[in-house]
Amino acid sequence: MADIPTDDRAREGLFGFLSRRRFLKASLVAGGAILGVGGGGLLALRGRAPSVDGLRVLDDHEYQTLESLVQVMLPATDEIPIDAASMDLPRAFDAFLTGEPEHNVRDLRKALVLVEFGPLVFDKKITTFSRLPVDERTEHWNSWGTSDRLLQRQVSIAMRKFFNLVYFDHERVWPYIGYPGPSLKRQRGVTP
Amino acid sequence: MTGAIVDLSRESLPESFATEILIIGSGSSGATAARLLGEAGHEVVVLEEGRDLIGAERTQRDAAMYDQLYMDRGGRASHDLSISVLQGRVLGGGGVINTCDVVPIPEGVLNHWATKYQLEDFAPDKFEPFARGALEDLSASRIPEDLINVANAKLRQGAEGLGLRGEVMMHNRVSCRGLGTCLIGCPIHAKRNPRMVAIPKAIAAGARVLTRARAVKISKANQEVKEVEVRALDPRGYHEHGKFTIRAKIVIVAANAIGSAQLLLRSGVGNGHVGKNLILQPQLPIIGLFDERIAAFDGIPQAYAITEFEEEDNPEFGLWGYRIEAIMGTPGIVSTMLPFTGAPGMHGMAQYDRMAASLLLAPDRPSGQIEVARDRRLTIRYEQRPDHQQRLRDAAENAAKVYLEAGAREVLVPTVPAVFIRSAKEAKKAQEISFAPATAPMISAHQQGTVRFAASERDGGADLDGRVYGTKDIYVFDSSGYPTTASSHTMTPIISSSRMLTAKLLTRI
Repeated sequence: MADIPTDDRAREGLFGFLSRRRFLKASLVAGGAILGVGGGGLLALRGRAPSVDGLRVLDDHEYQTLESLVQVMLPATDEIPIDAASMDLPRAFDAFLTGEPEHNVRDLRKALVLVEFGPLVFDKKITTFSRLPVDERTEHWNSWGTSDRLLQRQVSIAMRKFFNLVYFDHERVWPYIGYPGPSLKRQRGVTP
Repeated sequence: MTGAIVDLSRESLPESFATEILIIGSGSSGATAARLLGEAGHEVVVLEEGRDLIGAERTQRDAAMYDQLYMDRGGRASHDLSISVLQGRVLGGGGVINTCDVVPIPEGVLNHWATKYQLEDFAPDKFEPFARGALEDLSASRIPEDLINVANAKLRQGAEGLGLRGEVMMHNRVSCRGLGTCLIGCPIHAKRNPRMVAIPKAIAAGARVLTRARAVKISKANQEVKEVEVRALDPRGYHEHGKFTIRAKIVIVAANAIGSAQLLLRSGVGNGHVGKNLILQPQLPIIGLFDERIAAFDGIPQAYAITEFEEEDNPEFGLWGYRIEAIMGTPGIVSTMLPFTGAPGMHGMAQYDRMAASLLLAPDRPSGQIEVARDRRLTIRYEQRPDHQQRLRDAAENAAKVYLEAGAREVLVPTVPAVFIRSAKEAKKAQEISFAPATAPMISAHQQGTVRFAASERDGGADLDGRVYGTKDIYVFDSSGYPTTASSHTMTPIISSSRMLTAKLLTRI
């Protein structure tokens, strides 16, 4: 992203009309449009999602979207070789949703639809987020954070805030970032 | 009479009942008023949405603590997600989750309010006893040198190297062991905050404190006896599970500048000023990256401030300019501030123990508004003004120079796009920050305004006693009343002004 316009009203494009509205409302409209206007044809692009047991709010497709997302947001690297997939962060998101007001749950689920159909909506690719190869998915998701479109930046922020917070709160990650764990336990001689 | 803390998520709900004084909110304002009114012999009930989370329950873990100690589980934000709005939701309010900064209302601001806004009670000589009382409540003292950690020392070293004015800050800690998790609660209760001072004294004086209790509507605002609808919350505070009504002669709304306006708007109480003139004082983080281990997560996170660029008596705005203060958080919250995802994000966090961070604090003009929809959904509408953006750019440029002077390898301004500064000459790159919506990880911790105190109903939402215009004995005693930003940190100002407003109320009841 070279320059982000400071006035989003000036921007045109598919989601330009949404750019001044609240993220959740915008996601609801956009996600709803995919579900409503696109109908079964578009949804069929996703294919079948593996069945996941024990979900309380999310469905299998939403879980798959989040699993695909976490894989590119928090990849194991040489510096931090902890695979986010092993933490089942989508299930943490599912648990989080059980404590949210109904309208937030509804809107966040619509945002997930938007993420899944992001390649089609924003890149005009006839595929879905979860079906993209990892390198293409990484590139696609990175473009959300630096997008000229406010809506994509907002979704990127919302996902980063939740998943980063949970991932880096995990004790398995701490040795790789030089964090020795909660200080009270350390002062009492308890190692994490 | 002995008071008590009653957790409505665990106790059976009370029948509707009456009290003389109902206080909504248990933070710096509400707790102070409850204590003083209780000690004067008045019957007091306090409502708090959060719970009383103390001791070992303060686990120093990001996910659990942001979930339980902050409003909207730490996810509250301005309308376009540009600004993360941090607001306490726990017995004791913001004092439980702040960094213990004791910064009274500067004399220049008090003069500004007394002259420009005709708030004569805030004239320095009249206000002094209340400001002094607040410092006593807080056991305020200068942070001792041996508690200044490496990260704060780096900021100080850089400032002194460049000849910039700064100071070791005042705080309200006693027997601090430098646990470093002030932002998610102190498990050893070293903070002399409202939870540890005013609340116990209020209870000893007979106040009843209901936790997991959400006030949703005030009715009969013009009548002798008001009715407040209260919803009880579940143990985690996620969902409402029952309701009852409290009748009170006096209602004091002390739920923070956002919560107080939200309740009044939802209730249809007050004039057209209610909800307007919101001050968020958005802050921008900046990170110095060092080659050596800094371990900023250990010790007092915020101990040193560069005050060189701060004006306390700007004729038009009162407090103006900006200040630079060290800060640090636990890994989870720090990771949310970085503008990267994927491998670059992992690389950024791999340097966590070598970071020394600061917050750039620039006072803002009232630029926002609280809106409440029919379904009770809250919108915090805020437009950052160009002058505020420019002061933050200038602050970032100077903070970068400071960290480089202190030996930083590079400085990161965590915006989109990220700004990396590797030499003093490159510090000008900070001027490229666009501040387009949702591109800078700004934080609001000091919300003010929304029910401005004014001598006339034409100019504000509450009179000089804090009484909400158009009501009989409904008051706002918190930062809602401030016409401009009171200070770079609001705990001490709020305790001071609550003391003053409570003293005035006591002369009338």
